[in-house]
Amino acid sequence: MDNHLKFSLPDGYNQQQLAGALADHYAIKKEQPVLMSMAIYDTFDWRLFNKSLVLYTFENSLFLRNLFKNNIIQSAVITLPPVFIWDFPDSKLKAQLSTVLKMRALLRLTELHSRSTVHRILNQDEKTVARLVSEEFRSERGKNAPVLAAYLWLQPVKGYTKDCRHLTKRLEATGCALLKKEDIYFKAIEAAGLNSDSYSSKLKIQLDPAMRSDEATKIILRYLLQIMKVNEAHLEKDLDTEFLHDFRVAIRRTRSALGQIKSVFPQKPTSRFKKDFSFVGQLSNPLRDLDVYLLKADAFKAMLPTALRDDIDPLFDYLRKNRSKALQKFIRSLQSKRYGQIMQDWEAFLDEPVQDPPLACNAKVPIIAFARKRIYKQYRRIVKDGSRTIENTEDEKLHALRIACKKLRYLMEFFSSLFPSKKINILIAQLRTLQDNLGDFNDLCVQEEYLLNIAEEPLTTGHKQKKILVAIGSLIGTLEGEKQIIKDTFAQTFADYASPPNKIAFSELFASKQKETVR
Amino acid sequence: MRTLAIYSNKGGVGKTATAVNLSYLAAQAGVKTLICDLDPQSSATYYFRIKPKLNYGPKGFIKGGEKINKAIKGTDYKDLDLLPADFTLRHLEAAIYKFKHPKERLKKIIKLFEAEYDLIIFDCPVTISILADNIFHASEFILVPLIPTTLSVRTYRQLLAFCRKNNYDTGKIYAFFSMVDRRKNMHMELMAKMVKEYDGVLRSLIPYLSQIERMGIDRRPVAASAPESVASKAYRNLWVKFQKTALANKRF
Repeated sequence: MDNHLKFSLPDGYNQQQLAGALADHYAIKKEQPVLMSMAIYDTFDWRLFNKSLVLYTFENSLFLRNLFKNNIIQSAVITLPPVFIWDFPDSKLKAQLSTVLKMRALLRLTELHSRSTVHRILNQDEKTVARLVSEEFRSERGKNAPVLAAYLWLQPVKGYTKDCRHLTKRLEATGCALLKKEDIYFKAIEAAGLNSDSYSSKLKIQLDPAMRSDEATKIILRYLLQIMKVNEAHLEKDLDTEFLHDFRVAIRRTRSALGQIKSVFPQKPTSRFKKDFSFVGQLSNPLRDLDVYLLKADAFKAMLPTALRDDIDPLFDYLRKNRSKALQKFIRSLQSKRYGQIMQDWEAFLDEPVQDPPLACNAKVPIIAFARKRIYKQYRRIVKDGSRTIENTEDEKLHALRIACKKLRYLMEFFSSLFPSKKINILIAQLRTLQDNLGDFNDLCVQEEYLLNIAEEPLTTGHKQKKILVAIGSLIGTLEGEKQIIKDTFAQTFADYASPPNKIAFSELFASKQKETVR
Repeated sequence: MRTLAIYSNKGGVGKTATAVNLSYLAAQAGVKTLICDLDPQSSATYYFRIKPKLNYGPKGFIKGGEKINKAIKGTDYKDLDLLPADFTLRHLEAAIYKFKHPKERLKKIIKLFEAEYDLIIFDCPVTISILADNIFHASEFILVPLIPTTLSVRTYRQLLAFCRKNNYDTGKIYAFFSMVDRRKNMHMELMAKMVKEYDGVLRSLIPYLSQIERMGIDRRPVAASAPESVASKAYRNLWVKFQKTALANKRF
């Protein structure tokens, strides 16, 4: 199947022409047309497409293939259309996709209907030496629906390569062109009015180094506002947890930008919106916490001794109930007057043209100078604080260091288009390793505290309540052990991060070459 | 990968017709199948409309390797390929002796196909010498067509004696009745006797039918050209019985 060749059909090409082109060498036997209806799936953030994968259903099976290729990599029989990876039947397909889809829901993007007719190409012994398949694709069922694309496939038969070469030449002579970089996927997506570039949770901001800092900052903030809006529109449908997650990250990044890109806007609106976004962020804290624990339900269960595993179930039932309440409350808060006003004012502020003369001292500084200075300063601060933390790994110090790293990460991501992408991506990746270490530690601390608090609530009644407390106790014990393990690896992770080659790389990329006027 | 030889030390018993139809039926069920034509008469090759032409001769065949892979041809049917034979294979037995471990050459050759095929079916020529040793070494199961006649039964006894003498596991030998004429009392009596006397005789029979002979004209497995015919049903029944008995319903 990998060796199937795809040809375009010239306009007005018909089957008689096809037979005529081959008649002197081969006989053609036409088979009954086969109709196929497929539905194509992907996540909201195009996780499959970004890995060049196409997932589709046909009848009662799921199929996975690569873009531009026809061969099926994996398939599985299903009873219901898939939504989450945990709904998939245990299969190689599930194993392959679990790391790609993670907790994201699959959305049915579009339908595709194909009608394919096999023409067997026979030699003088009436042996099939190749198959020519003419295939028409439509986005709606029925012969009258417009054709999205029509292709001719040449499917070689093993051991008849000479005939295949010969047929390829014949087809090309009649005006069919061999297509390598074309996939019906794109046409189907386009016909459905979708665009695979439409959403990514990663920041893709393009800045010009000479740009004024206030102007560049507005570009960043407008991009983040766009992410908030796109996700907000889907929050009520509660398709998966990641709409809220991405929504929250955009808020956090906005707050971080307002706090870190200093003195580019006048003082008054800056502090107002800082407060406003702190408020907006807090609206979804309870809901997000519950999402995190419920996503971790299986991992928590796995941490428990087998005998206690089922005892913890009432905890998750309790959390699930709380979650639906928290969701309702959050959705109501999005409809509140205060929230609406904040978002409206914020958008209006971002749409205001930059002021000349500027009202803030860093507004007119070229963004490249600003970015260099802020990133380098933050980096040196982390190196300094981290070195102290190695000697005394108190929980609070690790927490503070984690926040500092996050600030640096956001800065580097905001400004990444200003620096050579290969170099800055390496530095971001190194920072990520350190952040993972600190993040894991923080997650464990937060989880421990949450469990301690929740143990005081009436999760269930009587005998079960005692059992659940035993299970929670056991969980806390395991978390405590893991915390220590992570703490022990901190020193080495940090030493790697603050190593001399890394310091040189940072200084080369970000240390200012001349005195610049950033305050 | 499973290996099945359609073998008999007696000629004209319906080996090729069986190999061709069983391989077709297996492939239709989605089992990736390779039929290896080992017979210089190359009848299986002919039935699939493939030219009996090899570029390597008997020595090249026994050496094995990529050349063999290149000689494989796709048949007209999904999941069914064929390794053709040609007339030069008549020297196969003589050539085998020129190599080390002459009894295990075939086993070595087919190792190459392990990743690609689920089932290999050998269509064997009449032999009870070194090629038979190779077939017994290479095959997990041996399926023997038996015409219910005295001579045919006698050769079957000879085969079992040969196996015992050479320490081959007779447990992998299965027989079924072929070219049966139900009108003949002798056929019916001999069949009853054989079923009692031997283990591994499948309760499945292929009648003597002109439809099967017509395969030479149609050049297609009868199971493909006339799927609802008596002949086709008989082969399907044989394939089901074989899977139930020999494979004990294990999957490919």
